Amino acid sequence: MNVNVNDYLAVASIIFCIGALGVLIRKNLITIFLSLELMFNAANLGFVAVSEYLNLMSGDIFVIFIMVVAAAEAAILLGIAIAFYREKGTINIDKANELRM
Amino acid sequence: MLDLAQIYNGYYLEKSLLSVMPEAVLIVFAFLILLAGLFNNPSKNSVNSYYLALIGVAFSFLYLFMLSDHTIKGFYGSIVFDKFDVFLFTAILLSGFLTILMSKNYFDTRSVLIPEYYSLVLFSVSAMMLLVSSINLIMIFLSIEFMSICAYILTGYLKGESRSTEAAMKYFVLGTFASAFLLFGSVFIYAATGHLSLYKIHNFIFEQNYNAHYAYNLHTFLAIGLILLLVGLAFKMSLFPFHAWTPDSYDGAPTPVTNLMATGIKIAAFGVFIRVFTSIYSFNVFNFYNILWILAILTMTFGNFAALLQTDLKRLIAYSSIAQAGYILIGVIAGGYYGISGTLFYLLAYVFMTAGAFAIIIMFENLNLASVNIKSYSGLGYKYPLAGAAFSFFLLSLAGIPVTAGFMGKFFVFSAAIKSGYYWLVVIALLNSAFAAYYYIKIIVKMYMSDNNNNGGQLNLSNGRNSIIINAVNTNKDSQSYADNGSGKTALTEAVSLKSAAPALIIAIIICLIFTLILGIFPQPVISFASRSVTSLWSI
Repeated sequence: MNVNVNDYLAVASIIFCIGALGVLIRKNLITIFLSLELMFNAANLGFVAVSEYLNLMSGDIFVIFIMVVAAAEAAILLGIAIAFYREKGTINIDKANELRM
Repeated sequence: MLDLAQIYNGYYLEKSLLSVMPEAVLIVFAFLILLAGLFNNPSKNSVNSYYLALIGVAFSFLYLFMLSDHTIKGFYGSIVFDKFDVFLFTAILLSGFLTILMSKNYFDTRSVLIPEYYSLVLFSVSAMMLLVSSINLIMIFLSIEFMSICAYILTGYLKGESRSTEAAMKYFVLGTFASAFLLFGSVFIYAATGHLSLYKIHNFIFEQNYNAHYAYNLHTFLAIGLILLLVGLAFKMSLFPFHAWTPDSYDGAPTPVTNLMATGIKIAAFGVFIRVFTSIYSFNVFNFYNILWILAILTMTFGNFAALLQTDLKRLIAYSSIAQAGYILIGVIAGGYYGISGTLFYLLAYVFMTAGAFAIIIMFENLNLASVNIKSYSGLGYKYPLAGAAFSFFLLSLAGIPVTAGFMGKFFVFSAAIKSGYYWLVVIALLNSAFAAYYYIKIIVKMYMSDNNNNGGQLNLSNGRNSIIINAVNTNKDSQSYADNGSGKTALTEAVSLKSAAPALIIAIIICLIFTLILGIFPQPVISFASRSVTSLWSI
């Protein structure tokens, strides 16, 4: 079976859309962050596929940076989630309703 | 002293280090602050880190000045230091400097970790500068994330106050969402062109080199990539459909941090957008000018209409900053030499008027005279004639009344748009700014004309904000005596009282006042500085 780079990009796009939907629909802060990670990893897949296809290194380097940044963001999100839980007793984002028009 | 010319011609590593020298100085000082915080008495550690932060910004200015004549590329073509950077670095460093000046007074009365705060401010300022000087998609992503992560932490810095945490949470989710769009856009641009460097992408599109080594339709890929990249950057610039985080995070964040977000982050986002725009979008490959045109109109109109409905001053300024982003975008769309230099001028003017307005909001907040609710500003203009006059001046500048920096900024941007033939865009923008003047002047009217029936010194705070404001005893006394004596205050006693309250704030306000006035009356030196810096955009 012959897998084209187009197919990789199609899969990456589908994963990206699933992640975006998850961010918009889900209510749990941790699940939202997992969806964000899904979007980041869709980009990773795309970069790896394209840079393999074009025989270039720069895409692979980008992927390593993305993974490092995602780890840093996980740390920040967990800090925010703990602070949020201490104040509200839940991490459901529907409880974030103090800042309104 | 360093012999710059020798290093400039020298080895690659030195050149790379030199190209990030102003940022590196800030990062060194940020670490110094963290280190010095270890050895401090927790009860009075705020002073040391405050002065260290100011010295760090001063050193960064010094290096910027020393390097300002050079154009240095570093780190394998991912960072460039050129004239364009010199202008925007000046604006960003000024924004950081004013933020630090405001912070001391604001955090004196709140129980937070002080050294970490100042080091985070320096880190985020250096990230903004890196963002402006990056010319590679990897570097753009990294600096945007560096800047945003610092901003998320700073937004949630008022630990134990639920509004601050909520703002940080919303900012984090939407900011990371935007970064993912930016990344996915880069994937498609990379797939279409095979490059990550902005100038190589520029050359690729320029040569229309579409007979490349793979078979699918590169045009489609490029279009998808450019749209997703635009979405990611528009989030950071808070343009209309992607503005949702702006009012919430501006409202919940500590006020000095709001100032940093409104001025520094906006400048950095527009700086990188100008770089990306001039190198990629300016070919008008898929009629991107039309998309930006519509975005600018929607942003202005929405920002102004939403600002009209606000009762909270910080939210009002947040929506007005969305509208200002629309005006700034007009300058970018007008493009070319005049458009971009007008945009740069507007960004610098925007720093001074916004920072001044926020400094006065902090002052009133800290004297416990007013919450951020607009109602509580009624009659303040009589009790504090100097501060009231200064606030009115900043608001008039934001509205774009002549003799202020805001007017000259709008003038340069709109005249550049007319030169490029965007007549209808300018007409709509003028209507918008006339409309915007209404809600700015509404605040001034509130300060001077409404009946003064609530006692000046009385707390008038809404929704739990008073729980975190621990007022110093002497400011309480001051405001009590004002309440006793009624409104017949002389400017002299007011000046004395305000001076004892906040010397650093007064300095910040005076700096903003002077520059707002100077930029409004003698814009010539600054606009020629801006024009000189713009030329480097096309010369690499």
